[in-house]
Amino acid sequence: MATEKNTKSGRMRKAFYFSILSLFIVVALPLIPYAIDAQAVGGNPDNVDKVVALPNPAINLWNNVRQRDGVIQGSSQVKSVDSGILINKTGEDWRRFRLEKLVPYGAYLMAGILGAIILFYLVRGKTLIPGGHSGKRIARFTLNQRTAHWFTAGVFWLLAITGLILLYGKFVLIPLLGAEGFSVTAAACKEMHNLFGPLFLLAVLAMLILYVKDNFFNLEDLKWFAKGGGMFGGHVSAGRFNAGEKTWFWLVMIFGIALGISGLILEFAIFGQGREVMALSHVFHGISALILISISFGHIYLGTVGVEGTLDSMTTGSVDAAWAKAHHDHWYEEMTGESVAIESGETSMQGGMAEGGVTSPGTGTAT
Amino acid sequence: MLEQLVDGILWDIALVVFFVGIAWRIVDVIRRPGRNDLAEPRSSGISAAIMANIHGFFPRREISPQIRIHVIAGYMFHLGLLMLLFFAAPHVKFIEEHITGFGWTVMPYWVFVLSAIISFAGLILLWIHRLLNPVSQLISKRGDHVASILVFVVMLTGCMALAESSTGLRLFHRFTVELLMIYFPFSALMHAIMFVPSRAYTGALFGRRGVKL
Amino acid sequence: MSTPLERGVEMLKTQVDARVESYFSSCINCGVCAEACLFYTETGDPRYTPIYKTEPLRKVWQNEHTLWGRLSTGLGLSKPMTEKDLSDWEELVYDGCSMCSRCSMVCPVGIDIAYLIRKVKEGLAAAGFVPEGLQTASERALEFGSPMGLTAKSLRAATTALEKEYDIVIPIDVEGAEYLCTLSSSEVVLYSEYIAAISKIFSAAGLTWTLSSKYFEATNTGVQMGDSSLAAQLLERLVEAATELKIKTLISPECGHAYTTIRWDAPNILGRALPFKVVHIMELLEQLRTQGKLKTTCCFDEHLTYHDPCNISRRGGVLEQPRHLLNQVAPNFIEMHENKEMNWCCGGGGGVSSNERAEPLRLKVFNIKKRQLDELNVTTLVTACSNCRSMLEEGLEENDMDVSVVGITEIIADHLA
Repeated sequence: MATEKNTKSGRMRKAFYFSILSLFIVVALPLIPYAIDAQAVGGNPDNVDKVVALPNPAINLWNNVRQRDGVIQGSSQVKSVDSGILINKTGEDWRRFRLEKLVPYGAYLMAGILGAIILFYLVRGKTLIPGGHSGKRIARFTLNQRTAHWFTAGVFWLLAITGLILLYGKFVLIPLLGAEGFSVTAAACKEMHNLFGPLFLLAVLAMLILYVKDNFFNLEDLKWFAKGGGMFGGHVSAGRFNAGEKTWFWLVMIFGIALGISGLILEFAIFGQGREVMALSHVFHGISALILISISFGHIYLGTVGVEGTLDSMTTGSVDAAWAKAHHDHWYEEMTGESVAIESGETSMQGGMAEGGVTSPGTGTAT
Repeated sequence: MLEQLVDGILWDIALVVFFVGIAWRIVDVIRRPGRNDLAEPRSSGISAAIMANIHGFFPRREISPQIRIHVIAGYMFHLGLLMLLFFAAPHVKFIEEHITGFGWTVMPYWVFVLSAIISFAGLILLWIHRLLNPVSQLISKRGDHVASILVFVVMLTGCMALAESSTGLRLFHRFTVELLMIYFPFSALMHAIMFVPSRAYTGALFGRRGVKL
Repeated sequence: MSTPLERGVEMLKTQVDARVESYFSSCINCGVCAEACLFYTETGDPRYTPIYKTEPLRKVWQNEHTLWGRLSTGLGLSKPMTEKDLSDWEELVYDGCSMCSRCSMVCPVGIDIAYLIRKVKEGLAAAGFVPEGLQTASERALEFGSPMGLTAKSLRAATTALEKEYDIVIPIDVEGAEYLCTLSSSEVVLYSEYIAAISKIFSAAGLTWTLSSKYFEATNTGVQMGDSSLAAQLLERLVEAATELKIKTLISPECGHAYTTIRWDAPNILGRALPFKVVHIMELLEQLRTQGKLKTTCCFDEHLTYHDPCNISRRGGVLEQPRHLLNQVAPNFIEMHENKEMNWCCGGGGGVSSNERAEPLRLKVFNIKKRQLDELNVTTLVTACSNCRSMLEEGLEENDMDVSVVGITEIIADHLA
């Protein structure tokens, strides 16, 4: 009897979760020896600009330091990038942006989207395949496409965790580990982040090549958006990829490449990048990352818990025909030559569906 | 205390198990029967054995399209790892201090980083392919996954310790290396050494019959 | 009274030699071997992955010879082997493998997988998990000397008929002849034109030769089944017959595994070098051609290609001779894209052809030959193995392909100067 554990996708799911767990443990392990030795000091309280009643005697000096009227550039004996700038005003702007905007708004964005997903799941529940599984399979993703996807996903996940530790560690981990303990973790995460970063850029480019063909928008996608993607009930037509998937694809391309390029600028700071370029790159990098991570929650939700039968496409490479009819009816028609009749907002099941086997575009099974 | 353990007794144990284990496995092959061939050969088996070891690095054109990922990701991982192991500055220093007593030229830092990126990419691609391809899904054993993950962990801890600024991270890396060394002689990782006699035996058999492996 | 499982496992334990130890220590389960195996490529079924077919032997090796294996069986942590671990492999090994060795050519770590499968067969045969067709062929071989049940009387009847039809002489039991020609039973029954052909050729070359009525069978069901003691028994009879006639060279006929068995495996199975030389008929023909003793005329005009029988080319080493011979008489000879040591198997070797149960699978995997031929646009397919010949004919008929199959010796005999 094939239980969940014994099926191919069951085993792969297990392997997948096992690998996530082991990677998480690996990342968490450096924290342990130092967590034990860490001083029980909480996080340093932030310096808050205090409001003073008296006028500041150094106000003129400070105004010059802040260079609000423009950057003061001098010259020095040492000739290199930014060597003529004694006081880096953009650094302060950047620090304030990071602490006052990026960190909190990023946290709100991530928490907000996560919360919205949880709420959605509690209210709407898992979207089941109308009429249940048919038993007939259709090939959806090739072995190369799946390999590229999981490679990108794995690398993204590693980068996201290490990146978030670098951005939020000061607030979240120092209270737990102490400053010294966190410094070890941060050093480890920085090295990992820098190593996997260039890999992510290559991964995104591979995804571009392997997936771009069916991801161009058309008029049907407007209808899909208008109907809310069918997420609140009802049926919407779609081709191989629906408008939501296409949006996610292009977001990943745009922000992924932005991440990659800004990351390369940051990591290989030996090509004459000045501080302003570095600060700007960091801003782009942070914003892109937080957006991508937040929306990835949605992607992961829909691909796993949210919609029955979806994960199969990326693990086994094929999907149930009933799933295809419900979510990608035009693609189903292309693949099988059958037409899908839609009644009263729900998909009706046509024809006998009891056979096994996989329908694929060419001869042979999906590879 | 952890430092004494990892830098001290555990290293000694790992070293002994590694070298003695490998030697034992090799002896275990050679001592068995089944290596003599009484049929009159067409050409020398010994030169065929050597040539098979060299030709084995180049896949046959007839199946090259189907095994592209094995070959490309495989070489990315192995060559990258070779560079990392033997030409990365911290490793050369370590080998000089703890094993051989002499060192050699190290590669520049950017080559180190590039090798690491290539090696990681190869290893991750290979492991994902192993999980997704129906053939390797059927034939892969627990040991194959353990070996992949263990090597990944060793490389990852090495990457974490790259800045060479923390004793804890260095110890963690060394500890995982010691685990790998102890696991190595009893695992699929022995292919790193056993491929030589395997290719030799098969190459010799076919070579004696006049067929180039 | 031991159970099939016990017999099988005990036999498999004796099969672990230096090569087996080396091979299983090297395998990293990469799956490249599957891409070279026609049983996998034409069915898409991962169970036909060559290294997967060796699982019974691998399990025994692991349990007996590896640290983890010994620990977990000793501590009772692993599941012990069951009868299903052997019986489930009967179909994979006997129906789904022709021992063509193409997998051995591509393994990145140099594993000779066909060698391992040969050893798995020893275990399955000891346990009694052998296809019925092969079992009955072995019984006939043991009783009659021929897997088809041909006797000396049938041989004489066949040769007499040929002598009359072709006006030739077919010597039998001539002591002191230089060459002893062995035959496969299917040549006597289905392709007797081969026997006529060699008579013409020997006559033209002026050489002395003979058949043996005591034992003429070149094929060896012991090897196909994986029963070394049966294989040795059959070989002893052949060697005895050859020695009695005091011949110098034994000719292996147009049969694949017969050549590998007599030329390459016999000394190791019998534990001694043979007291005569062994050549394949194609080796002899080429030798005679280069010595000037065999002159041919042109032309066999058909657009033709050559199918390399696996045991003669890849595992036997007779690669160039058919090319040289065909180039003498066939101006329209074109090679298949995969040829020589990387040819694709006909699907029927290693005992698969004697196994009726395997027929649907065998016809399915013929698709690879179909694709090879479709690329070429030929009318004739030449080969040097009578088993390949009948497998190819069946496959061509099943696919309604208008290609005729001919033996190479016949073509040469028909074009003697």
